[in-house]
Amino acid sequence: MVNGYAPDSLREALELRAKYDVVPYAGGTDLMVENRPGVTYLFLHKIPELRRITVDENYVRIGAAVTFTEALSDERVPQLMKEAVSRIAAPAIRNAGTFGGNLGNGSAKADSVLIEFVADARLRLVSLNGERIVAVEDFYLGRKKLDLHSDELIAEILLPRTGLERYSYQKVGGRNALAISRVSFAGVFSMENGRITNVAAAFGAVADTVLRYRDIEQMLIGKTFEEAKALKADYLKAYAQRMVLTRGRVSAEYRKNVCMNLLNDFLTKFGI
Amino acid sequence: MDRISESVVKKDHLPKVSGRSVYVADYPTEGVLFGKLLHGKVARAKVLDVDVPELPEGYFYVDARDVPGDNNVNIVLDDTPVFCRETVEYIGEPIAMLCGPDEKTVERLRDACVVHYEEQEPVLDIRTADHVFFDYHFGHGDVDKAFAEADKVYDEEFETGYQEQAYLEPQGMMAVPEEGGRMFVHGSAQCAYYVHGAVMRVLGCGPAGVHILQDVTGGGFGGKEAFPSILGCQVAVAAHKCGKPVRCVFDRREDMEYTSKRHPSLCRYRVAVKDGRVTAMDIDVKFNAGAYSTLSAVVLQRGIIASPGIYNVPNLRVHGSAVKTNTSPCGAYRGFGAPQTFFAVEMMMDHIARDLGVDSLPFKEAHLVKQGDATSTCGKYHFPVPIPAMIAEVDAECDYRAKRERYARPQTGRYRRGIGMSMYFHGAGFTGSGERDLIKAVAKLRKYADGTVEILASNGEIGQGVRTTFPKIVANELNLPLEKVYYDHPDTARVPDSGPTVASRSLMVVGELLRRAAIKLREQWIDGVEQEVEERFREPDFMIPFYIDKFQGDAYPTYAWAVNAIEVEVDTYTGITKILGAYGSFDVGTPIDYNVVLGQMEGGFLQGIGYASIEKMDYDAKGRIRNNSFSDYLIPTTKDVPNLKCMLHVEKYPDGPYGAKGAGELPLVGAPGAYVEAMEQALGGVRLHHAPFTAEDTLAVIAKEGL
Repeated sequence: MVNGYAPDSLREALELRAKYDVVPYAGGTDLMVENRPGVTYLFLHKIPELRRITVDENYVRIGAAVTFTEALSDERVPQLMKEAVSRIAAPAIRNAGTFGGNLGNGSAKADSVLIEFVADARLRLVSLNGERIVAVEDFYLGRKKLDLHSDELIAEILLPRTGLERYSYQKVGGRNALAISRVSFAGVFSMENGRITNVAAAFGAVADTVLRYRDIEQMLIGKTFEEAKALKADYLKAYAQRMVLTRGRVSAEYRKNVCMNLLNDFLTKFGI
Repeated sequence: MDRISESVVKKDHLPKVSGRSVYVADYPTEGVLFGKLLHGKVARAKVLDVDVPELPEGYFYVDARDVPGDNNVNIVLDDTPVFCRETVEYIGEPIAMLCGPDEKTVERLRDACVVHYEEQEPVLDIRTADHVFFDYHFGHGDVDKAFAEADKVYDEEFETGYQEQAYLEPQGMMAVPEEGGRMFVHGSAQCAYYVHGAVMRVLGCGPAGVHILQDVTGGGFGGKEAFPSILGCQVAVAAHKCGKPVRCVFDRREDMEYTSKRHPSLCRYRVAVKDGRVTAMDIDVKFNAGAYSTLSAVVLQRGIIASPGIYNVPNLRVHGSAVKTNTSPCGAYRGFGAPQTFFAVEMMMDHIARDLGVDSLPFKEAHLVKQGDATSTCGKYHFPVPIPAMIAEVDAECDYRAKRERYARPQTGRYRRGIGMSMYFHGAGFTGSGERDLIKAVAKLRKYADGTVEILASNGEIGQGVRTTFPKIVANELNLPLEKVYYDHPDTARVPDSGPTVASRSLMVVGELLRRAAIKLREQWIDGVEQEVEERFREPDFMIPFYIDKFQGDAYPTYAWAVNAIEVEVDTYTGITKILGAYGSFDVGTPIDYNVVLGQMEGGFLQGIGYASIEKMDYDAKGRIRNNSFSDYLIPTTKDVPNLKCMLHVEKYPDGPYGAKGAGELPLVGAPGAYVEAMEQALGGVRLHHAPFTAEDTLAVIAKEGL
């Protein structure tokens, strides 16, 4: 017996969320496996506002209950996000799994969340009291630790419309399908007028949360190719020193080794 | 293709794909008690006492004191207890079973039991384990002389890990007390008569006091050869005490952590070479048996007989041992000891070849056995050895020799390629004289008045197709449409003992009995009358008698043969290996159903590739297996080897039905040798010594070698 509410509107959902101790449930691909006893769920699949992809001046806005399969067939979703999402589990799970659920599960292994980190995505969180827009880094604090109030729901993921065209992405799983990431890497690069304007790098599945070091990125911002090449060794060294990785299904040494190889490859790919 | 090979729809296809098949967990729960095992939590300890919570009415605590007969499960020896004796010998050993009508309550009561232990230091390392369950020696020629005269001596060690069968349906058995005091035990199992013998002994009753039914079984792969005897005894004892039906179905974690797996191995090969040829091998094979001996004796026998590979070794000395550690008892898994030793010998031959400056394939070809040659146990290869033709088939399919030469040149860049090949046999049927002396298979056909024919045998359908292939053979001899011949799941109350569903024997051995029985029935056929015919196993006349004390004679009447090639591409940044292609030529004699056999070959080959590459399972310093779920223990999917090409080479066996030989185990056995050899080539010619060889291992080699 599963207890829960299945509201038709966001307003109704937020009222239930505020009133009861409920677990938001979108695709259920994690929650069904957990199958915790005595939980009351708030089913979100019937809420139109959460199931839309829209575009405004700056962002592609992906509703929290949009499934991975839906995003993969939507031309407005950036290719980088599609690459990551296309490697999640298997078709049946991508048909059910959602962006909001991937965030809500609070795992550093979440493949779509890695892209949100590297893309400087923002999240729109809503409650009966209104809404707040937060950067994904400020929201995603650690394993199962989210800056989400007990009366809030994740409404949308706001991905920048531009600037994600030049990227490097790699998922390292234990096999080619139905595999949780053991290491994942995403890098985004851009240059304007011969100067680096963005060199974002994010690492998933290697620590309690997705790792991104903006201060190390700053070493290369504003630099020319030549200057960046000269700084590359120091830049890599800075990452190597900073990254303290956890062991999981594979050793910390393996993860570190892979992260450094992929980071190096990212720079090399864009001429540094 | 022979007519008998043409594929039909499997008889159990529709009920299985439509979800109508009734597995042991699907029987109605009304009136049935849930049984949950209280597993020991430490690897080695004296059990001082168990504080059992107060049990509500209708709930029971069942342990060794409740066993009416002997508290030992008959497998090969009788050392495995039904419920623990004074000690627990591995993490997970069953101490007791809690039974009752409500599942959650039973779990709660089980979890509330407090076991008091006096802990002892567990033995976990097979290198230092000193309790030897089985110790075998055999050989021939003058090994010492060959070593003394050798140009060069090679000495290497090879290791392999656990492998979990990962059948879709976990272990589950149910016992039902019947009127008149008979006990009915049924569930997911390969060998109804093994369970029968074990339960009889535990209940202290005669053969008529118990009967066993194999339910629809969701895969076995060897994992349901011996284990259901243990679980069957536990539920039988519980049902005996409770006076009600008791069912115990494992959850996945329980199953992966506590039930039998493939034996981890440590093999040392010393090889003498003179004038570019192997003149002697001195082989030491050690298997980690776990805490009880279960099937280790026979697994080890098969492993050591295969240990020199399919090569002529004029002087041979083999020592095999199965040692006790305080870990889950290991058992049968497709291949049964042979994957470990074939891996070792294939790698050894490869390493010697490279040291001599030749490629491994011509080096192996120069040593290949052929028809008429002696086997490792001084028996004889009575029939043609089709390996050269099969090498040619694989080479034609994947351009092996050219790729092998190309990938041997220095490679640069992120991705590196390699290709490797293994060649091997699988001896069909029980090792040695087991079929003649131990099994003595009997099979029957019962013809009903309406002209339908029922097959009476004890071999279980576990996905390998016997419910279809047995009727195909009988229908063929009787000239009946396939619908007129049927084979139900065996119940020992109704069927004779045609032996267990193991050792790739069912089709070759029992299928032939049924073919002969069908001929007999055809000759006696009278319309409209119920008739029954029986056939008994006869050892083929050509067999050289086998003596297990000396390991001498024909260990197997014939062999299924295989050649595997695997081509890989290694990502040097991540250590991830992409399998560009896996190619296998398999000779199982005449396929009795082409699709069934091809499915077996593809599935088994993929399982072998998993064993070689990603299927890593180990225990920690306390003896606990941590990766006990399908997210922690990964097996390959079709996405991992999309280019999987299996070919059938047919070398008919005159004493098998229409020329069929054993098929089930063959495809798994050779993958590690081919895969790791390919990895060596992709990694610039390093010498590797273990399987599985994982992404993490790969990256460690890349870092160490500076590739």
